[in-house]
Amino acid sequence: MKPSVSSLYQAVELQQEIPPLIIGERANANGSKKFRELLLANDYQGCLRIAQEQEAKGAQVIDLCTAYAGRDEILDMSTLVQLCASSLKAPLMIDSTTPECIEQCLRLYPGRAIVNSINLEDGGTNLRRICRAAKQYGAAVVALTIDEQGMAMRAEDKLRIAKAIHHLATTECGLRPQDLLFDCLTFTVGSGDTSLNDAAVQTLEAIRGIKSELPGCLTVLGLSNISFGLAPAARKVLNSVFLHEAVAAGLDAAIVDAARIMPLASIGEEDRRICLDLLYDRTEAAETSPLMRFIEHFSDKEQESQEGGSDQNKTAQELLFQKVLTGDKEGLDDLLAMARGRMQPLEIINQVLVPAMRHVGELFGKGEILLPFVLQSAEVMKAAVTLLEPFMDKTETSSGPSILLATVQGDVHDIGKNLVDIILSNNGYTVHNLGIKVPAETIIEKARELHVKLIGLSGLLVKSAIVMQESMPQYREAGLRMPILLGGAALTPKFVAQNCVPNYPGPVVYCADAFAGLKAVQEFEQGTLRSTVYDSQSAIQPMKPGVKAEVHRDNPVPQPPFLGQRYQEDIDLQEVLALVNKQALFRGRWGYRRGKMSAQEYDALLKDTVEPLYHTLCQQALESGWIEARVSYGYFPCHAAGDSLLVKDGEQEYCFSFPRQAQAPYLCIADYFKSKKDGGDIAAFFVVTIGPRFSEESAKLYAANAYHDYLMLHGLSVEITDALAEYWHARMRQELGIGTVQQTSADGVITQGYQGSRYGFGYPACPDLEAHRPVFALLKPEAIGVSLTENMLMVPEQTTSAIVVHHPQAKYFAV
Amino acid sequence: MTMQNTSEHTERYICVNCGYIYDPAQGDGMNNIPAGTSFTCLPEQWVCPMCYAKKELFDPLD
Repeated sequence: MKPSVSSLYQAVELQQEIPPLIIGERANANGSKKFRELLLANDYQGCLRIAQEQEAKGAQVIDLCTAYAGRDEILDMSTLVQLCASSLKAPLMIDSTTPECIEQCLRLYPGRAIVNSINLEDGGTNLRRICRAAKQYGAAVVALTIDEQGMAMRAEDKLRIAKAIHHLATTECGLRPQDLLFDCLTFTVGSGDTSLNDAAVQTLEAIRGIKSELPGCLTVLGLSNISFGLAPAARKVLNSVFLHEAVAAGLDAAIVDAARIMPLASIGEEDRRICLDLLYDRTEAAETSPLMRFIEHFSDKEQESQEGGSDQNKTAQELLFQKVLTGDKEGLDDLLAMARGRMQPLEIINQVLVPAMRHVGELFGKGEILLPFVLQSAEVMKAAVTLLEPFMDKTETSSGPSILLATVQGDVHDIGKNLVDIILSNNGYTVHNLGIKVPAETIIEKARELHVKLIGLSGLLVKSAIVMQESMPQYREAGLRMPILLGGAALTPKFVAQNCVPNYPGPVVYCADAFAGLKAVQEFEQGTLRSTVYDSQSAIQPMKPGVKAEVHRDNPVPQPPFLGQRYQEDIDLQEVLALVNKQALFRGRWGYRRGKMSAQEYDALLKDTVEPLYHTLCQQALESGWIEARVSYGYFPCHAAGDSLLVKDGEQEYCFSFPRQAQAPYLCIADYFKSKKDGGDIAAFFVVTIGPRFSEESAKLYAANAYHDYLMLHGLSVEITDALAEYWHARMRQELGIGTVQQTSADGVITQGYQGSRYGFGYPACPDLEAHRPVFALLKPEAIGVSLTENMLMVPEQTTSAIVVHHPQAKYFAV
Repeated sequence: MTMQNTSEHTERYICVNCGYIYDPAQGDGMNNIPAGTSFTCLPEQWVCPMCYAKKELFDPLD
């Protein structure tokens, strides 16, 4: 019968038909950091997984070693031996030098194990005891060529010790030759120590000696010692070449990292020759030593393999950190399973994932990465937390302060608030997102009920800034004292400091973006959060651009094609898409800014990533019918009266009151229209919408934590809406006979390279949304699915309105 | 002329909010900025003449 070892499930021959027998070395507290950390965390399941992983990678026997300072070796070993016995198909190698531990393990193991190891270090006391146990339980034994003088370096000493052990084991202890596996203990050829130049030669020679002089005995080798001290990628090659040589010399089994053995055929001719030169210490005719040649030869390869990402040298934590950083979800579940082997789920979140997100935030702050990539990182973070949640107690999901978020009453814009949610919740905070149009009463009630530590309020509109201001006393009266963070396009530090801070006893803080929100929450944790302060001395007053010229009153009034209101739903979407302001979309909405990139790098980003994304999304939008373009528009007789414009629709007259600039040139939209005395004028209005589909689709993406795609789709929808407004504005200019050139691209649109202007309600020239009341009376856009909130905001969000002014001097301005 | 024709003086900048391009060769009449003013020399309180975005919302273009 051929010498074999066995587990509960199978027998494995020690002399494989194609040698060597592969013994996995990673379940070793001294040889594997990963295994040690799992063991130190008492994570026996994690330790078992390492054993199983090696089995999966081709190990035929698994070496198990738990000897580590401060550990109870017998307890660790007996626990793991039992776990492995039932879970591993591969037989075990019990790696210990403690006789008690070995005896205990052999007693527990239901198959035929290998004991690793015996030697003559103490003259034979332990050897005898272990060999008797091996005999009693029917185990094989690894014998190291060590005696009282230490590890044998020369082949003849190795052989001499092997013979001595052989004699003791077979004659005194009753073991058979085939029960013994001699390990001739190789030394490294990579240290530069000239006395070890022939270490490989001595080992190979000893193997040959044992095989010829101790018939029936087996040989085994801890292979990787040969390359100790050399670079990892080079070691892999050298180990593999050495293994081949050792097998040729008669080696039966090798203790290796099964995953790191390369087939000889995959090693190139030159690599092989350089390895052999080193192993056999071939110095003839060469100017440099074989070791120097080896190091030089493999130094290039080392770099390559590092660039290629030598993942095996990295821990699961490092790889997880990398996954978050690069926004890559591939293989996340496996990495998390490995990380869970050595850490608690909450530790993974707080010690690996959150620091990774912080790092991402810092890189964003430094302009090193762009918002879309931050969102991809957040997606990985979210996915990781979702995968970890089943392993966590409900109560331990977050340790940091909880934050309530809401878009204020009357406002439906939630992209800004949702970005804050994404950034905060993926930096380890608990976020309660109450959604849009949330009344102050609800915010107060929920803040109390959920015991939140901070409140974050958001809103895009000018009106929303007012709502925030007005709700401050309400929060104060309700007894709230927690900090309130404010964000939104219409807010300024000045407004927050002067209009909001004085009316609330807690800190009120202006946040320019989601990262400012994160910073505020971090400051709160550190106890350094303070209300926004506005210093009028140092503050920069933004300029108010505008044409600084008297408005002429002698321009001709164009002839409208009809008077009154009409609907239009037959719209060529390709022409609309051609007007999409891609610069504003890519750089502004999507956040693909050039930042620190060179013009070439940025062009490559646009060409390889952004443009293809844009085309894919547009195609998807067209094919899925997401763009439901509808227009209501009309032309009406009117006349200016001071700052007001009086618009007639049949018998009905509507008054639009426009604000006037407080400084030169004191512009007001009404100035562009003739008074009654001058013969009156024509006012045009439109409401355009692309319908609710985009909002529905992006809400789905947000709910599915597809943050990146959510931002992309939302941004696209806003710019398509604006393109539709431009498209229809061009159409109306044509109908009025002032649009001589047809608008076919966004280029001229940006700088208003045409006669006339459109002023959107709620925008800088006429910020008051109250104007929507007469606009809706004139255009009745309810029929195209557009309605108003109580704060005069149009729904769906992808809707825009304007007054179209034909006056040649009319250009954008801000009051 | 002793002024160097380096890219810094002539580099155009684009508003990421609306796409307006500030070209030093043209200046910005809406904000009374004379031609020949490089982007970096624009005053801090300068804003996009189209959408009022601040200077930090501009990307270099060339």
